Parts: sequence; structure tokens; C-alpha cells
Amino acid sequence: MHGWTGTILKVDLTSGRIWREEIPEEFLHAYLGGRGLGVRLMRDYFRLDPFDPEMPLIFAVGPLCGTPAPTAARLAVVSRSPLTGTIYDCSAGGRFAWRLKAAGLDALFITGQSPTPVALAIDGDSAEFLPADTLWGMEVKESVHALAGHGSVATIGPAGENGVLFANIMMGEGNSVGRGGLGAVMGAKRLKAVTVDGAGSVSPADAERFEHARRDVMRLFRASPVIFGELGIAQFGTPALVDLMRQRRMAPTENFRKTVFPASGNYSGPAILRDYQAKNDGCFGCPIQCKKSTPQGEHLPEYETVSHFGALNGISSLAAIVKANTLCNDLGMDTITAAATLSAWGEIRGRFPSAEEVPALLRAAAGRCGAGELLSLGSRRLTEQLGRPDLSMSVKGLELPAYDPRGAYGMALAYCTSNRGGCHLRAYPISHEILRKPVPTDRFSFSGKARIIKIAEDTNAAVDSLVACKFSFFGATLEEYAELLSATTGTEFTPQTLKEIGERIYLTERWYNCENGFTTADDRLPERFYAEPGSSGEGIEVFPIDRARFEEELQKYYRIRGLTPEGTFSDPTYLERQP
Amino acid sequence: MRDQIVKYAGKLLADRSALEGRIAIAAKDDVLLADGDPALVRLAGSVLDRLNCLSLVAASPAVPFADFLVARAPAGDCAIVPRDTETRTFLHDIPFLRANDLEADPAARIAQLLGSRKGVVVEGVGIIASGALTVEQAYINYSSVFHATFVKYLEDLLVEGFRLPGEKEAFAAFRTGWLRPLTAEGLVFRLGPLVDPDEILDEVTTVGRYTVERGLVDSFFGNISCRCGDMIYISQTAASLDELSGCIDPVPFGNTSTTGITASSELAAHRRIFETSDAAVILHGHPKFAVVMSMLCEEEGCPVTDCWKDCPKVRIMGGTPVVAGEIGAGGLAKRVPPVIAGPGRAMVYGHGVFTIGRTGFAEAFSALVEVENWCRTEYFRRLALRG
Repeated sequence: MHGWTGTILKVDLTSGRIWREEIPEEFLHAYLGGRGLGVRLMRDYFRLDPFDPEMPLIFAVGPLCGTPAPTAARLAVVSRSPLTGTIYDCSAGGRFAWRLKAAGLDALFITGQSPTPVALAIDGDSAEFLPADTLWGMEVKESVHALAGHGSVATIGPAGENGVLFANIMMGEGNSVGRGGLGAVMGAKRLKAVTVDGAGSVSPADAERFEHARRDVMRLFRASPVIFGELGIAQFGTPALVDLMRQRRMAPTENFRKTVFPASGNYSGPAILRDYQAKNDGCFGCPIQCKKSTPQGEHLPEYETVSHFGALNGISSLAAIVKANTLCNDLGMDTITAAATLSAWGEIRGRFPSAEEVPALLRAAAGRCGAGELLSLGSRRLTEQLGRPDLSMSVKGLELPAYDPRGAYGMALAYCTSNRGGCHLRAYPISHEILRKPVPTDRFSFSGKARIIKIAEDTNAAVDSLVACKFSFFGATLEEYAELLSATTGTEFTPQTLKEIGERIYLTERWYNCENGFTTADDRLPERFYAEPGSSGEGIEVFPIDRARFEEELQKYYRIRGLTPEGTFSDPTYLERQP
Repeated sequence: MRDQIVKYAGKLLADRSALEGRIAIAAKDDVLLADGDPALVRLAGSVLDRLNCLSLVAASPAVPFADFLVARAPAGDCAIVPRDTETRTFLHDIPFLRANDLEADPAARIAQLLGSRKGVVVEGVGIIASGALTVEQAYINYSSVFHATFVKYLEDLLVEGFRLPGEKEAFAAFRTGWLRPLTAEGLVFRLGPLVDPDEILDEVTTVGRYTVERGLVDSFFGNISCRCGDMIYISQTAASLDELSGCIDPVPFGNTSTTGITASSELAAHRRIFETSDAAVILHGHPKFAVVMSMLCEEEGCPVTDCWKDCPKVRIMGGTPVVAGEIGAGGLAKRVPPVIAGPGRAMVYGHGVFTIGRTGFAEAFSALVEVENWCRTEYFRRLALRG
């Protein structure tokens, strides 16, 4: 077999058993790897409570991992989110994915609950548990340092140990498995860390074809202003979006009460470059290198983080934002949800946290002490407990990132149809509504958006299963990645077949959610967006979203997906018919 | 979406890339929408039904070059491989179906090919192109295939001459009937220097429209900029040159803001040209004859194989320097600025033409016309010499 190893490592933390199994080749062809494979492997478990010991935590790489395919040295971690209750996956870079593949594995499947804290150490063909009593309680950097020598590290921090519902799993290089709280799932298993090393290699079935496709991708990267342009993300990182969102008047400010923050220039891409002498520090093997760090190696925040610790909380100090980002990373906590929860709490109590207050509040959240007990639950539960559920700016309990939906109607729809909740990275319409890639669309129109969102969700489900970075698709398309995949595996894939695979993955996720009680009632934006305008000005009117038009497009989306008006499945045999 | 179908059907006629009465555009919302020639509409709808994309253009091109390329292709070939930069970068190659490949259900075969590529040529039917997200995207892809096959055919003719019955006559009809004189005559340009932002935006929009209306470039192939103090006003990426209103980014020279992240991929080239010359404005487009001529190189025994990006030489054609270089962050931004200042014009191998104006767009536009006219004349001279 080329591309895949065909092997999964299964780990039962309760019994202490570790064993390898073959993955049916049919699964690999039908679900690729990463998100898709993880979702397939969840079929018998998706109804379990996220903290049930038998709930699997799945790490899955893709068929391109281990090859020089641009941006593909990534993995997906899949489980059920304790924050949202939805099926959940998150993609992350770092060397971990590459080394997992080099250990001969397509996936790692962890169930059970250890009686004492442990780390799982995988070294080539062997795997063992390491006692982790001394690691328990350590912050991420410290934990990674303690495990140096075992290869790549994926670890949780105090937030994951304490069950913070938006706890991350952090990769040793600083990449995060974020948003949905899978760090808390790992913590509930008393699994402090996983380390992996390996020496295997991946050889494409057709090396010449692979190299041709790789060159095609790189040419498209060079032709993309968003990627390699002078103002693009390779130069400035994702904070390159700060100025653009300000100009488009869609930067969420003060818990989405406004959409312009006058001081956003303090944390724009050029400001970060200037103030921190930012240098490239991106994912392993990635030519884009969109992540940035200080010359001393401190990771600098991404767009969503600067915007949410900045505008969303009314904080203008870049130093404070960088500090909050570093603290979240060390505590193992998602920055978007952390900042959004602070903001919702701030609006309820009539005062957003000051820059000086933020570090203590983040520590309190990670430790679940004092006000942190409430903050650790995320904005939906926090606002419900304080009697103001309307002030959680979330969909399905996942806090919205830094793209105001009143400024991009495709984004508004995509937040709602995303299977993991209010996430920008599923259909990712910012690509065409704001960044004009691959072609521009009218951001203030719903016309055609239902179909566009559906196609993009299918496409990105395939991308997340390859597993490649979304940013590649500001330049390249599925055409080039289908070539890379065909050359690697020796099996022919086309953009059309990849989108069909993506559709299967999306619908499987939706099926799981529906079985767990999700319906159209969960595909809604917070009331604020239908009732209050954004910050109009400079020739741009930011109106409330027309609810009737939104509903019309949502119903179109369901029809296009073959779903009922309730957003559920009319065919009870859908899942049975899938491989 | 219906308005988009009407709009782009109109553009296919206005740019004379498709034959009147032989155009169909289909788009899927929650239901299929389609308009145009009934037979093509049926085909387009049937193909689109099999694809996970939003729209499709099916039309017969206004010149028969795509069909000629298919007919001239050796048996066993199944794709046209143009060498121009746009195709090389964005389309890679163009699959085709011969007329006798079409079975009882041609839509299935076409859909199969379109499942891998943005556009295909179907002999006897025309060019069929898909748009993943918008009707405009299908139009762009149709336009790209039309451009690619046009350039490829002209290039092949210089090498191989006429080979098919009726080919010479059809080409003569193209020369006398389809081609129109290129001129800047009658166009009104502001004199410059352009200093008022509103005036700049208006002038850039107007000149963009001129380039398309005068047949110099197809709608999506080019970009325009104007310098004013420490700002560059430049057309956005994926912007149609004849619809630039609202699609021009102000970019500060010092990169103190990143709002211009949506600017044309050639921002770097424009910036260097402004830095290294006395240009006040820059015009860049992909006139077809210039693209063809830029790829003609008579040097023998040269070790460079990827001429379009690796050729280190500066060739001169009709007084215009020709250099190699990739789009965007490729070598184009390094190689064009050193050669453009003196003559005010430069060609890029397989790509197109850059021209500058020292005060306003009149000089840049005239230069673009002159370069393309020279290339057109020289092309026909060389074709005649070939006999």
C-alpha cells in the first residue's frame, strides 16, 4: 500500500493494553485519513458522553503525511466535544503527525481511563505507558521540556487536567488542537501526554507525477497574494487580516456590539512585525510559515486571538494580548473561546476585563477557581447560569471567531451549518467573500450561498482528511491535491471524487449530531445578529441580518443536502449505506 | 443567479469569444437554472447535474481553433498542453473529447473530464467550463480555455503550418473577419499627474474598461495601477478589468497596512517598477499576439528548459524587451523592473505586456496597443514566410 500504512494503534487506558490492528483498506479509500477516518472510527461511539471513559480520542494522519506535499504534515484529532456535544475534529501541524506516520501508523485510537496519570510513548513499533504523576499539574512548556527525548509531544496543560470545557491538546512546537475541548477529554482519561518517534518513510507510488504536482502547487502559492504576496500571510502571519477586517467593518468588538475597534492598528500584522521583530515559525514542512514568533521563540498570536483579546474585550495593548496568548498556550486553553467567554462575562457585568485583569482570570479559568469556575464552562453555560443566554455569541455552544456575520452572509450561514458549531474553518467563505479566492462573491448577498457553502463544506472535509492546511487553498485547488494524492497512493482520485468523499464525511458528522438531538434549532445565530446593526460608516452599511432571508437560504441548504426542513435525515438508512 | 446568467451570456458575446446562438449557461441553486441554446442547455444541465459545483458554461467558440487543435492532435492524445503562463499555472492542460468519443450519454463523459479540470474541449460542440462557486467563475474558466487554445493554435501554426482541409480558409476568415484594428484613437485620458484619489479611482476604472472594449485583453487577464505619493492604487486580484469600480486597493508604499492583501498578485512587480522608474501608472494585460510572440525564441542549443521562468536573457522584439518570470512572488517582479524604464514597455515570456505612463494612462495605453500591433504584424509576417 502506498500513502497509507494501513495500521492503527489501539490503546485501552483502563486495562493498559496496547495493540496494533489493520485498518480496512475500504475505509482509507472512502474516508482518506485525518478527519474522515476519525469520523468513521467514531461510528460505534458517538452517542457516548464526551467524558465517558470509553469515548475514543483519535489521532489520525492523512495519506500525504510523510511526503513533501505542501502543508500536509498534519493530523486531525477526533472525538466528541464536551463544549458543544457535537462530533468534533481539529487539525494541527507540528512534527507529531509526521512522526506518527513514521512509526507506521495512520491512526491512534485511545479509549479507557487510566487509574493514575500516564503518558503514552510510541517509539517505532513499540509503545508503552510512562508514569506521569510528576507531570500532572505542569504547564505545557514545562511538560514538553520534561518529555524531550521521546520525539514529538502532544500534551495537555492544567486546563485539560481540570476539565476546562475549552481545553486544548498542545503540540510540542506550539500548535494546538483547539476550540472544542478535546484537551479535557484527554484529561478525563488521565492521559497527560502522547509522545511519538519513528523512522519510517513514505514513498509515492509515482515519484515523477508527485513532483510535477508539487511544483504546480508551489507555482499557485507564488501566484497567490494572500499566501506569498508582499502583504500576505507568509509575510505577516494571519494578523494580516486585522487591517482588512477593520476596513470591511466586520471586526467583532465588545462582544459583537460593534464591528470596528479604533485601536486595532496596535495589533495589526505590521505592528506585530515591528514591535516583536516577528520571525517565521510555522508548521513542520510548510512552505508558507504563517505562524510567527519572537526571536526568543515566544509564539505570537494569530488573527482570531489578537482580535478577540483585543477588540472583543476592548483591549488595545499588544503586549497584553501577546501575554494572554502565551498564557493560554501554557495552560492549554483555547484562545478564541477564552477571550469570547471573558467578553460575554464582561458584557453581563457591565465592564469588560482590563488588560491587567486578564492573566489572573485566565489562570482562574484553567484552575477552575473563583470566577474561573464559571469561565471554565465557556460562554454558553456561563451566560445561561447568569440568566443572559442571549449574550453568548456562539453557535451550538462554540464561540464565534473574529468575522462578524453581519459583514459576510456566507459566513453567517456557514457558522450555522458547521457540524462542530460556530467555526470559520468549515466552509471558510472568508476566502471568497473577503479575500477574493478563488473568485470574489458579494458578501452582503445570500444569493447562491447555500450551494456555495455546501460545496465548500464537502471540499474542506476532504482537505481536512488529506490532511492539508486550508491556507493552501488560497492558491491551489483540489485539482492539484488530487494529483498529489493519486501520485502518492497509486489510486486515481479527482476533485469530484474528493468532494464526494467530503460529502460523505460531512453527512456522517451531521448524522451523529442529529442522533444526539441536534436539529435546525441549533443552526441559528445569536439573536443579536438579527436585531442589531454593526458599526456602519465610511460608505459601508452594516445592517442586521434579514432573518427571513437567512431562513430561506438555510432551507435551501437543507434541500441541497437532501435533509428535511428540520435539518435532519429523511432516510433512516443513510449511515448503514456508507462504507 | 438568473441575472448572472444573463450578464455572462452577454459578456461572451461582447468579448466575441462565443458564437451567438451557441451559448448555454447553467447554474444550480436549490434547483437548476439554465438559459441559452436549447441543445446546449440540455447538455449543460445534464453535465452539471453530475458535478459538485455551481455553474457551467457551454458554448461554441467564435473561432474554430480549439477544434483544429483537437483534429491536429496525434491519435492517442487526450489533452491540449498550451505553454502560456496562465494555462500552465491555473489550468495545467485542457482535456478534450473527439467527436467520435461521444457515446450515447456524452454528458457522462464530459462530466468525468470536468471532474478533474476547470474546462474541456468537446470537438464539434465547443468549450465547456465549470465554476465551483459562481457563474462568473465558469465564465472565467471558459475565457481562460478560449485564450489558451487561441494562443496555442497560433503558436502551433508558426511551427507546423496549416494541415487540415479548410483550415487555411478559416484562418483567413479569422484574420479578416474576427480581428479588428487595435487603436487608442478616440479614447479620452486624463493628462495627469493624477493626484486626487477619486480621480485616480475613476481613471483606473475607465482605462480598465478601455482595454477590454478595444479587444486588447480578455476581461480577467491583467491589472492596472497608479502611484500617488506614498500610495499605490492597484486593481484587486481576480478583478475584471472592465468592472473595476470598487475593486481598486490603496496600498501604502511602506506596507504600514495590509488592507491591500486583496490586491493583484502583481503588486510586487508594480511596486518595483514604481521604485525603479519614473512611472506614474502601469498597465498590464495579456494581449494574445504578444503572448504568442513572447514564446518564440530562435536560440539553438540553449540548456534552459523551463524558459518561461528560468531564461536569464533579455530578448528584444520590436524594441520591446522580453524577459522570463513567474507570476506573483516568482521572478517576474525581479526581471521586469530593470528593463521597463527606458522603453516604457516590456513583455514577459508566455504571459503578457507591461507598459508605463510617466504622467497618465494615454502613454501606457498607446504603448500596449503598439506592442500588440507590432506582435500581430510580425506574427503574420512570420506565418507568411513559413508559407
